[in-house]
Amino acid sequence: MDFYFGLAQLVGVHTLLGLSAYIVLLTGQVSLAQAGFFAVGAYTAGMLTVLAGWHLVPALGIGAIVSAATACAVGFPALRVKGLMLVIATLAFGEAVRLFFFNFDYQIAKGDIKVGPLGGEGFRQIRFFPENGWGTLEVMLFMWVFVLLVMALLWWFDRSRYGTALRAVGEDEVAAQAVGINLTAIKVSAMTVGGAIAGIGGGLYAHYTTHIEHSSFNILVATFALAYPIVGGLQSVFGTLIAVIFVQAFLIEGLRELGDWRNLLFGALIVLAMNLRPNGILDARALAALKRAFTRGRNA
Amino acid sequence: MLDFLQAVSDGVLFGATYALIGIGFTLVFGVMHKLNLAYAAASVGGAYAGLLVLGVMAGAPPWLVFLCAFAAGGVLGYLVYLSCFHFIPLGSPLATLMATVGMLLLIDEVIVHFTNGMPLAYPAMFDDVMLRAGELTLRGDLLLVFGIAVLCMVGLLLLLYRTRLGLATRAVSQQSVAAQLCGIRVGLVNAMTFVITGLLGGIAGALIGASVGALSPLLTTPLTVKGLIVTVIGGLGSIPGAIIAGLLVGGFENVFQLFRGVTERDLYVMLLLFVFLVFRPGGLFESKDDHH
Amino acid sequence: MKKLALAVTLAFAASGALAQDKTIKITGFGAKSGVVRSFGVNSEAAMLAAADVINKQGGIKLADGSKARIEVEFLDDRCNAEEGISVIRRIASTDALVAIGPTCSNVAEPLFGILQKKVGDAGDSGLQFPVFTDVAIKVGLAKISEWAFRNVPNEMTMYNSVFYWLHQKYPNLKTVYGGVEEDFAHSRATWHVVMKDRAQASGFSIAGESKWLLADTNFATQVREMKKANADIIAISAHPFSTCGVLREMQRQGVKPKLLVGLTSSSSLETLQGCAKQAQGIIIPTSFAPVNKEARFAAEETAKKKGAADLHSMAAWENMFILKQVMEAEKISGAKANLQADRRKIRDGLAKLATTQGLLGVTKRDAEGEADKPYLFVQAKGNDWVVLHNPL
Repeated sequence: MDFYFGLAQLVGVHTLLGLSAYIVLLTGQVSLAQAGFFAVGAYTAGMLTVLAGWHLVPALGIGAIVSAATACAVGFPALRVKGLMLVIATLAFGEAVRLFFFNFDYQIAKGDIKVGPLGGEGFRQIRFFPENGWGTLEVMLFMWVFVLLVMALLWWFDRSRYGTALRAVGEDEVAAQAVGINLTAIKVSAMTVGGAIAGIGGGLYAHYTTHIEHSSFNILVATFALAYPIVGGLQSVFGTLIAVIFVQAFLIEGLRELGDWRNLLFGALIVLAMNLRPNGILDARALAALKRAFTRGRNA
Repeated sequence: MLDFLQAVSDGVLFGATYALIGIGFTLVFGVMHKLNLAYAAASVGGAYAGLLVLGVMAGAPPWLVFLCAFAAGGVLGYLVYLSCFHFIPLGSPLATLMATVGMLLLIDEVIVHFTNGMPLAYPAMFDDVMLRAGELTLRGDLLLVFGIAVLCMVGLLLLLYRTRLGLATRAVSQQSVAAQLCGIRVGLVNAMTFVITGLLGGIAGALIGASVGALSPLLTTPLTVKGLIVTVIGGLGSIPGAIIAGLLVGGFENVFQLFRGVTERDLYVMLLLFVFLVFRPGGLFESKDDHH
Repeated sequence: MKKLALAVTLAFAASGALAQDKTIKITGFGAKSGVVRSFGVNSEAAMLAAADVINKQGGIKLADGSKARIEVEFLDDRCNAEEGISVIRRIASTDALVAIGPTCSNVAEPLFGILQKKVGDAGDSGLQFPVFTDVAIKVGLAKISEWAFRNVPNEMTMYNSVFYWLHQKYPNLKTVYGGVEEDFAHSRATWHVVMKDRAQASGFSIAGESKWLLADTNFATQVREMKKANADIIAISAHPFSTCGVLREMQRQGVKPKLLVGLTSSSSLETLQGCAKQAQGIIIPTSFAPVNKEARFAAEETAKKKGAADLHSMAAWENMFILKQVMEAEKISGAKANLQADRRKIRDGLAKLATTQGLLGVTKRDAEGEADKPYLFVQAKGNDWVVLHNPL
């Protein structure tokens, strides 16, 4: 069971990563910077629990706030960059964050050993969970509280004016402006919220792997963050969740039996998925069909 | 002062390799307004395929390997087009982006599979030639790479502005619907663009392999990133821009390294890109047809 | 009727023999993707080969006197920390008794981090599963958990020996210049913590250091620095790809130090495949070379399973035999019902070991779960690694 709980933890953290890119994608901004915000959250929360001895929950909170602030700072210059150029700009920013942590040393002595991030060596021994006796099940439940809260929040956004405004900006900026939507407010706020979500995800990541280093937040992670909402579909938060389960539980863990073929199939299946379902696994048609299936049951 | 000049010249020369990769990226972006993230991987893949020549004929001359890489690059370019651009509807740019990511991963894995991830020595031309310009030493093989980059640029510009295919390509990039109405087969033109950039990519991959001395799957990600940076700084769709940007990035990179060391070098390159994007989003040579 | 009785008796006898066919599962894990794929491939081959040899010799003797076959499986963690953690949890959920791996130090560190730190600590919810590492070599990892053990060479001892020997043999060589791959935990630590320190301890003076990154391709500046420093010995703490890049640039700029010293894990096929010509003469301390009968046998058997024998894969081979020894000494039951008890026995057995028999000689083990392996110095000559000096 431990294995399945561990897998659920992994799915949870990656869902947060994906959702942080999801909300930004809704506004039409393709951001490869989410891994950078993830890193900021990870290092911040880790430093607070290890160096300052805080409990994990406030540490995650501060981590989310710092990531959100960073994202907000990125959101403004990002307004000047259009379309696919933003992909490159955010990629550059994400890499800059990673390289910052590659050079970041902050160690203090605890007893006779030094703890804290040490540049290229990384930040080791982030042991809040094992030191406080949290079992795999407890960690999983703890993480999923956050995942479900975030999903509920985004679900609620989708049903509110804010969500409509987000999608309107994503569809057609000019038309959105024409009906009086404040582009700056929408785009920057989406980026900020995305940053906060990534920050929480990062904080959880640091604690469940116990060791983070700059290479844990590389371009591949940034690409995965973007892949989840794109492969899953932008119509609903569940799309991202389904994509994370598809990639992590099915492609990576499930296909393990296939040995070497798994790695080859990975890229091939993504290409296939994009060709067969260019709007994601849970695209508008699939969502409508699901809705019909549910309401038909209710009406009958 | 000499150190500084030498670092600049070393960097600028190596930037010629970035220029080569950048040309292909910018051409695809300029024509199809889509990012082909699999481009560097396909170029490296083409270079690897070039090594098959050595498998068949042990003492083959380097230019034959390069020729094989050239051809393989074209084939890979077409495969990328088919798998990522042909079937996916135009209205789904995100899907094509992800599909190219999938191809990047696939090509990488195929390379790893066949070589077990180990670096393979690559034949080089003039790799031991060092020229002297006063107090500075310049690598002969990189000058050759620069020369080839310029040749490619001239060739591509001739293709784009003096041939029917080039005319059709430019028409499709400006107004694909109107182009179709004029009887231009958009699918064919797009496929040809990919084949041509693929051929260029094969050469780029081979020359990069030759400059580095070995091919490794490690090359793919940094080349993709550099290629994107060069594309942006040079201006999307501008071929001369890509060359100048490539040299610039190479030069700056080495200068940053000289002053701040290798661990901070890339940080400053990223910040340079970010600054460019914020203050001059069109790049050095803003494209004349700017429409969204 | 007689025929039927015979058939039935034979069937019973056969099923009895089959019931005797117990298996012990040992799962290997490591990188079978990306640039480090060869490590995983070789370790898997070595484990499969060792299992074959042990099974041919009768297998492992269990507590009740019966024999069990070893079954080996190998999982790919893609050199990724999260996946490594998932893999070890997956292995722990099967009936495997112990795992051999991982390949990458950046996986080992988080992975050891999720294991129970101290045995018997009821307040520590870490995973209780023994891990016996073959490859991940970054200094000081096994002490992270009492369930983690390693059979990797001790770079401090080896480089101490190398520099001491070089100082004795070439008394006119005084200076050492270092080249280090800064963004990979292992290579970085080896220069800053091991090579620099040991070279100085042996009487050399450090003329300086140049840094680069794992995937770098342009070493002009760094080699120019080397040229200026004009040191007698250049020590390169980097993996094969960038090592070859630097060596090529050195050739281009005409930098010819009197001696070259390399990083332990670069004493492999990769370096020779990438730049045999430029790497000629580089001296590397290693814990494996086919210098005796056992070593050659191990190499041949591994080659049959399509793997190469080098210091990393041969550690996996050794691990299999050490585990056999431990399992028999601790009298494991081999029964699925006693899985956790058996795993604990294996851990305790590994912790007790003061020495183990390696392919090159006796390996000492310390209280932190680390090994001090016998080593020798190899040098690149032609297309091979040739033994330069055998301190054994």
